[in-house]
Amino acid sequence: MYTQKRMRVIDRLLDMSGIDRRRVQLRWVSAAEGQLFANYIKELSEELAGLGPFDASKFSLRLSAIESVLNSPRMRWLIGIDRQVTERGNVYSEKIDSARFEQILQAVCETEYRNALILASLRSGPKTVRELCAATGLEVREVSSRLVDVEKMGAAELHGYVGADPKFIRTAA
Amino acid sequence: MSDDFEPKALAFLCNWCSYAGADLAGVSRFQYPPTIRVLRTMCSGRVEPLYITEGLKSGFDGVFVFG
Repeated sequence: MYTQKRMRVIDRLLDMSGIDRRRVQLRWVSAAEGQLFANYIKELSEELAGLGPFDASKFSLRLSAIESVLNSPRMRWLIGIDRQVTERGNVYSEKIDSARFEQILQAVCETEYRNALILASLRSGPKTVRELCAATGLEVREVSSRLVDVEKMGAAELHGYVGADPKFIRTAA
Repeated sequence: MSDDFEPKALAFLCNWCSYAGADLAGVSRFQYPPTIRVLRTMCSGRVEPLYITEGLKSGFDGVFVFG
């Protein structure tokens, strides 16, 4: 099921961003299962009430990063090609087993999310690597290797130094 | 406040399965809490992940997808 696969991607991204994955739920209800539907709503509402209100403004940076991950060509392409390469094989009739595919998906999720997080925090103006670490909660090493990626894509560039700390800016494009 | 906190959730219902299921729940007068705001889609496959993040951004406490 495509929906199920996409929900798994969403779950993963929510985990990374620190939003409780129980806030987003998928359930199957057929047309004949009115009682089941009512039960699900009851159960999920109670769980949600237990989690308390969701403050979107606290997560706005992370949510916009999730959005750009989901919008990224790489992610869309991966989600769409899933069954083709795991069940039928690619144009060279090579099949990728689903465990390997999951692994790739996980890795792409992670790097794309971090890239997006960095770009999202650069939106409010140029920042040094250390400022980026503080904004994204990532380690210096991770931030700098992501910045190499982002620079290569042409989405950000070096904007001088503050002491020994390189400062980066988003490119106009 | 936390005692009378009533969560607000966005629910995507598939026209052919869960929307009819919810309809049945209503017709049969099964009681369920008024937490959900229903959005009918023609298929749960139509629900893009972006709709979910948009839901969270626009102030819902949770998003449910029923297929």
